[in-house]
Amino acid sequence: MSELVPQEDSARVEEVSRGAEGKVYLAPCQIACPLGEDIQRSHAMLALLPLDPEEAARQIIKIGDEIYEKNPLFPVCSYICGLCERQCNYRDETGAVRRRMLVRLVADRYLKYLDTAPTLPTPDKEKVAVIGSGPGGLMCAYELSKRGYRVTILERSRELGGALRLIPRYRIPRGVIDSVISSLLRIAHIEVRLGAEIGGVGKRLDDIKKEGYQAIFLATGTPVGRLLTIDGKPVDNVDLEGVTFGLNLLYEVNQGIASPRFYRSKKVIVVGGGNVAFDVARTARRLGGEVTLVCLENEDRSSRNGIPADEDEVEGATQEGIRVVYSRGVVEIIGESGKFRKIKCPRCTSVFDEDGGFNPRFDHDDVVYLDGDVLLVTIGQEQDRTVYEQEGLLGEGGKLEVDEITLMSNLKEGVFIGGDVRRIGFAAEAMWDGLNAAESIDRYIRGENLTAGRKKEYQDAPVLSNAYYKPQPPLVWVPAEERLNFEPFEEAFTLEQVVEEARRCLCCGPCKSCKGCVAAGLQPVLPGITYDEELCINCGDCAYYCPCDAISFRSPHGVSFDMTLCRGCGLCAAVCPAMAIELENWERARISGAITEAVSEMKRPGILVFLCQWTVLPHLDKKINPNVGIIDVPCAARVEGIHILEALQQGFGGILIIACPEEDCHRQTGSREAQRSIEALDNRLSQIGLQDRVGFCTVTPRHQEEFDRELERFNRKIESIGSKESR
Amino acid sequence: MIVTTLKPLDEVLGFILPYSDILVVGCDGCNQPPRGLREASTLSQLLDLAGKSRGKVFNFKMTTVGKQCDDYMAASVLKPQIGNAEAVLSLACGLGVQTLAKVFPELPVFPAQNTHFMGAEDRDDGILEMRCAGCGDCLLAVTGGICPVARCPKGLLNGACGGAKDDKCELSPEKDCAWVLIYNILKRQGKLDLLKGYRPPRDYQLTGWKIPT
Repeated sequence: MSELVPQEDSARVEEVSRGAEGKVYLAPCQIACPLGEDIQRSHAMLALLPLDPEEAARQIIKIGDEIYEKNPLFPVCSYICGLCERQCNYRDETGAVRRRMLVRLVADRYLKYLDTAPTLPTPDKEKVAVIGSGPGGLMCAYELSKRGYRVTILERSRELGGALRLIPRYRIPRGVIDSVISSLLRIAHIEVRLGAEIGGVGKRLDDIKKEGYQAIFLATGTPVGRLLTIDGKPVDNVDLEGVTFGLNLLYEVNQGIASPRFYRSKKVIVVGGGNVAFDVARTARRLGGEVTLVCLENEDRSSRNGIPADEDEVEGATQEGIRVVYSRGVVEIIGESGKFRKIKCPRCTSVFDEDGGFNPRFDHDDVVYLDGDVLLVTIGQEQDRTVYEQEGLLGEGGKLEVDEITLMSNLKEGVFIGGDVRRIGFAAEAMWDGLNAAESIDRYIRGENLTAGRKKEYQDAPVLSNAYYKPQPPLVWVPAEERLNFEPFEEAFTLEQVVEEARRCLCCGPCKSCKGCVAAGLQPVLPGITYDEELCINCGDCAYYCPCDAISFRSPHGVSFDMTLCRGCGLCAAVCPAMAIELENWERARISGAITEAVSEMKRPGILVFLCQWTVLPHLDKKINPNVGIIDVPCAARVEGIHILEALQQGFGGILIIACPEEDCHRQTGSREAQRSIEALDNRLSQIGLQDRVGFCTVTPRHQEEFDRELERFNRKIESIGSKESR
Repeated sequence: MIVTTLKPLDEVLGFILPYSDILVVGCDGCNQPPRGLREASTLSQLLDLAGKSRGKVFNFKMTTVGKQCDDYMAASVLKPQIGNAEAVLSLACGLGVQTLAKVFPELPVFPAQNTHFMGAEDRDDGILEMRCAGCGDCLLAVTGGICPVARCPKGLLNGACGGAKDDKCELSPEKDCAWVLIYNILKRQGKLDLLKGYRPPRDYQLTGWKIPT
């Protein structure tokens, strides 16, 4: 087909809004990602990875580059996040698309490249100080540097990463965090001061300002463990030997302070029902402890009082031999000669009150005592308030006074606050705060309005009504008995599994906000629709057949196309009885031209193949198949009977239409509709003695051997027809 | 809409075999499925291939008309295009074929389709079904929008016959009894009293065959 020249920026993502309110229309996963990763786009690009390993490797780096641009911590997220998966339209059907595992593969490849990735331009604008180097601080620093500001991170401890350093290594290898952070500093030219104490005996914010920093972002996290309380008063005896915060254990293990058999033959009790409590329990188990976890919540996670930790955590911990005791609180810590001995645990009858406030109630007649050598309290974390008190950043009731949108302190100009210290959440949420603060700081320094145009409303894109749901691949874990160490136990997906899983993505969002197919080189630009209203006969077939519900009736005449929904399959153009619709780049005349070109390129016209591009098959070696011509189509549904007949008229012996299997069809019904129309045509051809000249088959995307087999089979059929005729 | 089906190609080929220059005319009117420019083109291509395999070369010209059954429109649109055509192949219903025969009295006009009935389309079930018999005395106002003349094989006007079983017609267990449908819809609308009136036998003269415009 005549080559189309890619337009400049034709692969650039555009924001699409719908409805009278102009809400941003996006796939729900992308609305869920605090960092706005172009999730659908990277899935499409992975689904369309070239077969050639070197080209595929380049493409993966390109995908990594795109994700990195928005989220420089993405390799870390690929181990610990999954907010997008919670909102996946697939989730309630057969299980969410495993985005985390897809990104893991990209991250694993990208990390090797990251060490040598080019740096951002050297920043030369004003200086900004970021206090705290957790995900929020790092993200803010990166974004500011991207915008040209000179950033210094001040970190109290001796290494960067904040709460990331508390994640057990069986969940994420230390090297990943190290590598991501060191590359980030290099790429974004970020200056670092370790051991920098702010507040207390350390520096005051004014001292920092005096050093020339125009704005400060405080992201100091929640490094302090929360104490056990009963009726609002702390539970006594926390100073007994053996009682400590779970956080301390996580820190010490990651720092290599705790010996590998730290808890050998010790009875360890962990208090808490969140993910961190499970991190602590599973860490203690790996140190040889016999671990019991006690939590207020019950087993039924769907109920108001259900356990908050992820299902995977509970399942994994149980497999590892951790006993979970549900619906029990701790009202008394009992010791013996200064050492921890046991806890008193009445049954918890409810955790939250009617208003959703934390207010546990107990049945004191139903009490058990749990014996142990070690008690690890992991019931939440709190801010270190020193600096906030000292700097007058707390309002009435000791709460941080921060603007929700700009993240600037309401009490001190030029001071921005975000991350867990503002609101405890996921790492990605802290990063969103960092990003948001960077935007505010940029505006603040430039003297612009801090709030204008900041708040966006979103509308979820639903799945296509014809969606075909494929089963979710299981996560494979190393068996429990073999994983009681600090090696990651979640098996990565292979490249094949990644492509397969990426193809499960239904690409719910609008094409314009994705353009993964363009980025993957499938087409030079997203095709538009040309509609000739004068030719239209109002039959409604286009609207009925459109797999994306993109066509609606105009009253009193004609149809309109909603290009925010169109997926460019061209089925409307193929079914229109009046030929009033054209799919740009695949106009009828262009396809006719391609047929003529294919004829001229062959010595003896043999077979013409219309190949759906989403099968991702490379072009044929002309030397091996001199009598086969191939025309790429955006979907098998685009192929029209008149093109097939035209090819037969021009002398091709047979026409083979190759589509993706129905369950793989990017437009859900494209493959099925193509088959239907081709069968009808074949039926008519058989009426004039030309049966079996047209074939339809499906080929699993990227399965060259299936393609070869189908082509060979069709070739034999056409040859046998030819030899019969010559006889 | 007028429901049509394509004739077998060999039958059509038989019509046109004596001729070489043929005007193939689609119809963008009420024909269902639509047989517009696309079908004119597809049919010509198929007949061209069929002709070639029999050593016959046709010269097809394809066009379409808004409504073939309007003699004024058909003449205005097609006469300038007729050129040296020796025959006309119509993709309309029988009405269009006859109108073209009137517009081109000196040329043979052939039907490419068989014409069946006035039908309505059920997209989900993928069927076209007869829903109007053109009786000239529309009853739909009192039968809940369901026509017993077209949909009851006996054309009964005053309720179901004794043959209805399990809400189905005695002719076929797949065919709904029109009067059961009528009863159900009127019941839902609280208008069962409409069934109390007696309707006299149909006046077949009302069907008519000619109406002044």
